[in-house]
Amino acid sequence: MTQHGGSSRVSILSGCVGLVLAVVSICLPQSASAADDYQLGPDSQVQEGVPQGTVTKKMWKSEKVYPGTERDYWIYVPKQYDGSQPANVMVFQDGGSYVNPTQQFRTTIVFDNLIHKKEMPVTIGIFINPGTIPAAGPDQKSRSNRSFEYDSLGDQYARFLLEEILPEVGKEYKLTNEAKGRAIGGISSGGICAWTVAWERPDAFSKVLSHVGSFTNIRGGHACHALIRKTERKPIRVFLQDGSGDLDNVHGSWPLANQEMAAALKFAKYDYRFEFGDGGHNGKHGGAILPESLRWLWRAE
Amino acid sequence: MRRACLFSVAAVVTLASSATFAQDMKVADILIDGQGWQLIAEGFKFTEGPAVDAEGQVYFTDIPNNRIHKIALDDKVTVFAENTAATNGLMFGPDGLLYGCRNGEKKIVTYDAQAQVQTIADDVNSNDLVIAGDGGIYFTDPPGGRVWYINPKREKRVVAEGIKPNGVILWPDQGTLVVTESNEPILWTFRVERDGSLSQKDRYYSPLQVPPGGGGPGSDGMKVDSVGRLYVATRAGLQFFDPTGRLGGTILKPQPGPLANVCFGGKNLDTLYVTAGDKVFKRKTQATGVRYAKRPAAQ
Repeated sequence: MTQHGGSSRVSILSGCVGLVLAVVSICLPQSASAADDYQLGPDSQVQEGVPQGTVTKKMWKSEKVYPGTERDYWIYVPKQYDGSQPANVMVFQDGGSYVNPTQQFRTTIVFDNLIHKKEMPVTIGIFINPGTIPAAGPDQKSRSNRSFEYDSLGDQYARFLLEEILPEVGKEYKLTNEAKGRAIGGISSGGICAWTVAWERPDAFSKVLSHVGSFTNIRGGHACHALIRKTERKPIRVFLQDGSGDLDNVHGSWPLANQEMAAALKFAKYDYRFEFGDGGHNGKHGGAILPESLRWLWRAE
Repeated sequence: MRRACLFSVAAVVTLASSATFAQDMKVADILIDGQGWQLIAEGFKFTEGPAVDAEGQVYFTDIPNNRIHKIALDDKVTVFAENTAATNGLMFGPDGLLYGCRNGEKKIVTYDAQAQVQTIADDVNSNDLVIAGDGGIYFTDPPGGRVWYINPKREKRVVAEGIKPNGVILWPDQGTLVVTESNEPILWTFRVERDGSLSQKDRYYSPLQVPPGGGGPGSDGMKVDSVGRLYVATRAGLQFFDPTGRLGGTILKPQPGPLANVCFGGKNLDTLYVTAGDKVFKRKTQATGVRYAKRPAAQ
């Protein structure tokens, strides 16, 4: 199944485990499905003797690309960063969830462990929340800009990163300007957003991590796989994760959409990997395999 | 049993995530099985400006014939006003008066219960309007490429330029204004500032469904419902969006040809009325329209 240095496989092992658990759960009162029973491994736990990076919370008011929006973001700097060399960069959408050390991804802990073992390069993580346009008064509602920023096709979010966020973080830290040292990831709409950023600006981002990505017709994202097939291959390495229990709603079928993406990436001979488990629309499976995903994305070859 | 508890927690987490990430609003949440469009009246030249009064009666204009008609709760249609100078967009204000774009005379006017006309603003082009809970008025000026605001003191000023606006509506909380531009596959949104100014212009609602074969979506009049869905009359049908700007679906047009505008009416404000060329139709739904709450007067 290896094509152009990439590989694809269905996660048969996790599927079998899920099946076994499903059978067990039938015997239990009030139990939900036993599928989606993914567990975090040791690389997602704090390990003794492993240097821990620092996380700093910031706030950003966009004046250029998404004028009027406000958002929190966090910068993770690994202990190994000393400023002598430009660090690699990995951006995450819905950053508050990815940076949280007690939720499903625990990304900074995984970064600590993998960087320590030299299984990924020294990488500064930028965890960004979607924007909000605050209300003008207390009797009015703020407007969430998440779907607009993440689900829209086009280069606007890429420009937001390249013209606002990366220069701002770059004032304090030495970041690489090379696409091969820049990755981007996200969950759900944040997943398709990651893909769209690299698709629009492969000269700036070369690695994509998508968890239960919304390659569905929320704002036309179902076109992604069709575009992949009919466009000259771009230098993007892609790790996709989805599950058979993912959403099937008015915007589309997430499991089918992700399989369409994988098939299109295979057809167009991309360097991709697709992990299709039995999970739902959450980060459990993606979190459990985050260490392996990052090892694969950041591998040298 | 411990295992079962774990699964329950997981299920809750999954549901919470789904709500956060991909809550959908589908057409089946709005329509009622077996309840299609029902013809209310026909024989007009071009119907527009459906507006609901405090009782749920719906008024609409027949622009070329210079008449405003009223649909009573029993569906009986009568003439409310004659010689209306091509009055286009209509909406009732919190004062109970019917506001209208009397574009043949370049005026924004009110009609009282006896259809007596009073001028609110003159020397302006206008197409559609929305009346806020404090009495402020936004109206579109397509030839001028502008959106105007008339504050409760009746002072008018331009609050948006550089677009060719058509329909206009406020969110239920009146904090966001939405404007259609017929040939663009998006709807513009603006934040409403305390003094009525507009800021943070964005293509928030996108993309609209556009029929194949060329041309834009033909987006025109809009309304919102009590859960924040936005309905827009277009060539493809009555498209609706969820509050995060995502297209939820398209309700079919009652007949081929134009679909200019929409409003909620009826005693319970749960019936969609559409102006479609020579006819007006209605359709009962599971949704409920919105009346704008009174707000503190603008500073």
